[in-house]
Order: sequence, then C-alpha cells, then structure tokens
Amino acid sequence: MTIRYKTIKEIKNMISHKEISNKELVQEVYKLINENSHLNAFITLNEDSSLKKAENFDNNPSDSSLAGIPIAQKDLFCTKNLRTTCGSKILDNFIPPYSATVIDNLEKAGCISIGKTNMDEFAMGSSNETSYFGNVHNPWGENLVPGGSSGGSASAIAAGIVPAASGTDTGGSIRQPASLCGITGLKPTYGRVSRWGMIAFASSLDQAGPMARTAEDCALLLNEMCSHDIKDTTSLDENIPNFEDDLNQSLKGKKIGVVKDLDLASLDNNVVEVYENSLKEFVSLGAELVDISLPNLSLSVPTYYVVAPAECSSNLSRFDGVKFGRRSQNPKDLEELYIQTRSEGFGDEVKRRILIGSYVLSAGYYDAYYKKAQQVRRLIKKDFDEAFSDVDVIMTPTTRGAAFEMGSKGSDPIQMYLEDLFTISANLAGLPAMSLPNGNIDNKPIGLQIIGNFLDESSILNFAHMYQTKTNWHMLTPEGVTK
Amino acid sequence: MDKKTVTTISYLSRLKIDEEKEEKITNDLENIIKFVDQLNDIDTSDIEPLTNPLEKTAKTRDDIVTADNLKKELLEIAPSSNEDYFLVPRVVE
Repeated sequence: MTIRYKTIKEIKNMISHKEISNKELVQEVYKLINENSHLNAFITLNEDSSLKKAENFDNNPSDSSLAGIPIAQKDLFCTKNLRTTCGSKILDNFIPPYSATVIDNLEKAGCISIGKTNMDEFAMGSSNETSYFGNVHNPWGENLVPGGSSGGSASAIAAGIVPAASGTDTGGSIRQPASLCGITGLKPTYGRVSRWGMIAFASSLDQAGPMARTAEDCALLLNEMCSHDIKDTTSLDENIPNFEDDLNQSLKGKKIGVVKDLDLASLDNNVVEVYENSLKEFVSLGAELVDISLPNLSLSVPTYYVVAPAECSSNLSRFDGVKFGRRSQNPKDLEELYIQTRSEGFGDEVKRRILIGSYVLSAGYYDAYYKKAQQVRRLIKKDFDEAFSDVDVIMTPTTRGAAFEMGSKGSDPIQMYLEDLFTISANLAGLPAMSLPNGNIDNKPIGLQIIGNFLDESSILNFAHMYQTKTNWHMLTPEGVTK
Repeated sequence: MDKKTVTTISYLSRLKIDEEKEEKITNDLENIIKFVDQLNDIDTSDIEPLTNPLEKTAKTRDDIVTADNLKKELLEIAPSSNEDYFLVPRVVE
C-alpha cells in the first residue's frame, strides 16, 4: 500500500482500516522525499521527531481530525526548535524558540510536520528562483519552475510526497504555484488565519492558507488553521464556520461573476479555452454567469509594487544581525555591522524591493507613491464590493499560462511581477481566493481562480468541490491519472 | 532615478550595493518606478487611502503577562550575547 498521490481523506481511511501504520506512513514520506531530492522541495527535514510522533499515534490511536497526517510546512512559519530560514541566507542558522499559531493549530489537530519547504527568499518571487537554497523544480517537467513563492509546498504535493502543505500568499504565492503544479490552494480572507509567527513580508497583504490535492482537504485544513488569536491584532474575532458543511450544496441558481474587463486577448489561446470550458462546466452544474466589471483591475500590479515593497522595507528592517540570524564577521562598528550583515544576507530581489520601499516612503515621495497607491487600493476594493452585490463568486484564470522554464523571464523584474496579474487584486482587497486545476496545456497543468466575498471561503470551497466531483483535473499527476 | 538617489536610498535601507551591480539596480529601479507611475493618471481626489483591508481599529486587551520569560532562549540564539545582554561592537568610546 502506498500513500503516493493520496489525499488526506484517503490516508485517514488507510490509517483507520489499518492498511498502514502511522510509522510506515511517515517512513514512506521520507523515502519519497529522498527519491525526489532533485525537486529540492525541502530545506530542512524533521525526521526523528516525526517518527517519534508517528510511533506515539500507533501506540495511542487518536481521533483528532489530522491525527498522523504528514504535512509539509512552508519555511516562512516559525517552528519551535526547528530551523526556519524563510529561504534566506540571513536566517540560515535561525532556530525559533516558538511556533507560529498556524503551526500550533495544525499540530494540535494531530498533524505531523514532516519538514520545511523551500520558497522564494522572504516570499518575494513567482518562480522559486530567488531562494538562497536553490531553485525548486516542478515535477511536471524538467527545468520547469513550480511557481512561487510557496513553490516547495506545491512541488511536494504535486509529486505525491505529502497530501498537503501550508503556504502563504501576499500577491498570489499560494494560488500561482498551485496553478503551475496542478494542485488546489486557498488564500483565506485577510484576518481569517493568524499571522503570529509568520515571518512578515507585507503585513496588510500576507495571509496563510492550505495547499492540497482537493478542495475537500483544503476545507478540512482551513477548519484547523483558523482561530481568533489575541497575539495578532488583525486576527478577526468572527464566527468560524465548519468549512466542510457546505461543500455539497447545489450550485443551482448561484451566480458566477465573469470579469468583462479581463484582457483575454493577451493570453495564450489555450488558456482562454481551458477557462471558458470550466465556465461551461459550472453552467452545467446549475450556476449562472453574470458579466461584472472591475474597471481598476489592471492597476492592481502597479499598486501592489508600491504597497508591498513599502511594507517589506519596514518589516525587513528587523534583520540587522543583532538579536538573531546571521551576523557579518568583524565589522568595525555598529553601523558597518548592520550594513554588512544585510548586504551579505539578502539576495538581489529582496534588496530591490527594500530599495523600492525606501524610495516610495522617503520624504518628498510619500504622497506621490505610497498615499496614491493606497487610494487606488480603495478603488480596487470598491469595484469588488459592487461586484459582490450581484454574484456569489468571481472566476478568472489563475495565471497567464502554464509553468515556464527556469530563467525564461530574463532579468527584467517587471516580467516576473506580471505573473501575478490575476491574483494580486484579492490580496489588495483582502478577499479569499482559490486556485484549482482546470486543464492541461502541453502536459502541463493550469488553474482556475475563484474569488469569494469577504469571509465567504465556504462558497469558494462549495464551487470548487462540486467542480471536482464532476471533473478529474485534480487527479492528474505527472505520471498520469492515478485512480 | 540616478546614482545619487540610489546611494541615498541604499543608505536609508542600510544596504551596500556592489559596484558591478550598481548600473543594473539603478536601471531596474528606474523601470519599476516608471511602471508604477501609471497610477498618477488616475483621479483619486477625495479618495481616502486604504491602509488595511479590515479597516478596523486594533483592539486593546488587558495588560497581563501571558508569555513565559524567554530571556535565556532568546539570548542563546543571538549571534553574540552574555548572560544579560545582546553584544554589539562598541558604540561609545
């Protein structure tokens, strides 16, 4: 019996029917990690502690919702006594003395944190080519990027090594790699999941969420990840529904917003065809299509590239070589300690964003850039508020195309920034959004994005689950359909 | 964006740019700023800036100690420390 390519739900069945012991399960995960080491999906493994935990479940079976389930954790979450690098040289020796709330919540539900996944440095990237620990490979093809920044998490799931992983999403970092690797990933509403213990990139945009093979598994994971956390002042004190409750609701009469301002002409024909086929599938499930307008959507990328660098330049000022992380050797004074530590510790993309942030926040430019971007951000949010008065969800392609080759975006950073054209607006507006596999182009997967109204993850999961009961794109693996 | 501006913002960011990368970074920054300059074409008079999607004021809570004292653990992971303090190069002669 193998757990390769299995979902959480399937693995839970295998455990409860004693088809596999918890220890065998975890042993197989590490075997799969070793056999797929060329993917470079993991930065740090947690083998001894995971095996102990598994043995413990064998001796004392538990009925908690994630008991014994192996989950890979993005290396952006602090994990107590387990190295946490955020994909950066500056944190390559950092062992946190505490765990992020998300990690605590998942582990309380019984999950086994198998290891820490590779990622773009400080989550700044859309191809996992900015990690200090090397590129992650997409299991769908040689030299293909997995997307980013949660590229290691997406790659490990797509390769069938783990059924699920945690991710974070500031401008598309869960959804874009989910699309490029053919898996399902959800960015919840801003404030739904605690940010405490997540290494901050852009605090008004960052949100953690689940990545898995199915919407059903994402619902199960989200149930455990969410909590009201007094340690995060932006953690929402709102009712948390059981996200599994509405998965099977009929879509009859429900309305899908189709954005008429999308410039589909700029996309690959195949992407448009895949997208339009999915809309037809939803119509056959009973949903109605409604044209909506998001007139400021095209401004989301430039808005983001003011807001995110501004917040990043403030957040990353904490990395100064004094209290934790790497420190440069033999600085002549304190000033040189700061400058050398940061210059040696950060990679080029991180430096570029810090510099942009310092520029747009500096005296004389603040109103022209930062304030202006925040005003446009409100316009973008207002567009969504109006659209959601008419529809239940909004759908777009997740990405402009399928996985691209490493190095192919050249050295122009803006080409890479435009990768997140469809995903960034949900972060600016704070809305929940998911990517799920909806097609295949030249044997490479691609995803559909479903954006929901504020706090309405349940509708997204309902649409996604109903789609997955009718289609099998989510069951495709690099080796073909497995079931 | 010129070299002088890049030098200023590098200093504000406490970053040193390698000489051989200076031209590329100046170019990149110039292009990114040009790209975001399209925001200037949008009329935003009377629009309140949106700093955070929740727009709720941060809640206060009772000021009670909830965490254990992690002094020892925190000093242990510092690059340089003694039993009470983080150590850095001498600041005052």
